[in-house]
Amino acid sequence: MSESVIILEPGRAEKNYWTDLWRYRELFLILAWRDVAVRYKQTIIGVAWAVIRPFLTVVVFTVIFGKLAGLPSDGTVPYALMVFAGMLPWYLFSTSLGEASNSLVTNANLISKVYFPRLIVPCASLVVSLIDFLISFVILAGMMLWYRFSPSPQILLLPLFIVLALLASIGPGLWITSLNVKYRDFRYVIPFIVQFGLYVSPVGFSSSVVPEKWRLLYNLNPMVGVIDGFRWCILGGNSPIYVPGFLLSLAIIAFFLYLGITRFRKMEKTFADLI
Amino acid sequence: MSDIVIKAETLGKKYVIGHQAERGSYTALRDVLMQNARTLWKKTKDLATGNPIIQGDTMEEVWALRDVSFEIRRGEAVGIIGRNGAGKSTLLKILSRITEPTTGRVTIKDRVASLLEVGTGFHPELTGRENIYLNGTILGMTRVEIKRKFDEIVAFAEIERFLDTPVKRYSSGMYVRLAFAVAAHLEPEILMVDEVLAMGDAAFQRKCLAKEGRTVLFVSHSMVW
Repeated sequence: MSESVIILEPGRAEKNYWTDLWRYRELFLILAWRDVAVRYKQTIIGVAWAVIRPFLTVVVFTVIFGKLAGLPSDGTVPYALMVFAGMLPWYLFSTSLGEASNSLVTNANLISKVYFPRLIVPCASLVVSLIDFLISFVILAGMMLWYRFSPSPQILLLPLFIVLALLASIGPGLWITSLNVKYRDFRYVIPFIVQFGLYVSPVGFSSSVVPEKWRLLYNLNPMVGVIDGFRWCILGGNSPIYVPGFLLSLAIIAFFLYLGITRFRKMEKTFADLI
Repeated sequence: MSDIVIKAETLGKKYVIGHQAERGSYTALRDVLMQNARTLWKKTKDLATGNPIIQGDTMEEVWALRDVSFEIRRGEAVGIIGRNGAGKSTLLKILSRITEPTTGRVTIKDRVASLLEVGTGFHPELTGRENIYLNGTILGMTRVEIKRKFDEIVAFAEIERFLDTPVKRYSSGMYVRLAFAVAAHLEPEILMVDEVLAMGDAAFQRKCLAKEGRTVLFVSHSMVW
């Protein structure tokens, strides 16, 4: 019998965890599909919600930061377009973080009844926010047409930054979701982080308004790097990337990713007992 | 015959539970405040040290399982009989890898499927058809496998008319029927079943448990059926 032999022991790390993850890919797909299918059930305007929320936020931000506060835009870019190019990754990040952080608790019935690599649950939850993101991307196209703004070739690099935004959210997301299993307090932390982060990150304004000497420090917020990257892709030469800061943001994202995965793996085996 | 598929050696599983201290009929506000302050302190300490939060004033360690050793050979049907709280479900949870043993070790060959519950992961908003795929995948079937058995599952559940209705509109009978139908079409080498569910459905028992050549591990209160 050369098939799989499983040994279960306290504290034993599974040696083929990552291949196991691959074996369970169908479960990943179906959980992701379930979340997407259920998302806008029994709503009237359905998927339009994915469009309306970022759109209204952009309108408000353009009025407050662009008109009332009179902050400058990037180069010659219309203010609303600049805000939207930052709002897209921010929404992607915040919904992913929110979904991932609650994913284990909302799937408690699965965790306590069936075995599978638990990493699947938070990862599958990302797909929903990715779909929402792609839908709201349509508005961006519409806005670019409206302002007669032609994108530069960098826009082809956008998928890389989408992945980066997802990585930035899954790192802390994994950590918080596993803490959430033990201490439900973290459920209340997330909405706060998201609300706070919206103003701390350069969503409503360009990160070029941050004084030069603080810019590196500002990039300790990993979303600064991601948002700058998005703007660079979409708006082209009008918003150049501040390279040292971007590298710092990358390092922070990598650090959180590492932290998230190791913490998650460490606590994974106790999930069923604690949830 | 040395064809052992499950081998458990000195298995143990420990849980920590909390007890609420007995209170008198008369409590002063001062006592309540003190008590709350103490719990808050305890919880903060738990958070700092990474211990789970346990409600209650006193802790007690409970060994749900202790020194359990056994071997199961291929094709055997084994029943585990015990009263409530004897540790049957805990054993099943360890064997199906949901939770980790505190001591001891288990070696398992073959593909295992465990049914601690039927209808795991059913989503009320999804239709019967969609839930068959969802539940089947969760229980460890592949898409191709489900597709092949789809008609059989539907026939077993007798829900053809309502296949595209969300399961939240199902009667509870139809719901359970559908859940059993998916479970009955699992074809693992080793099947582990918790009694509470298998009792309910005679067709399920015939289809699933009495299958020739399959290793079945079955947990029950009594030997009556």
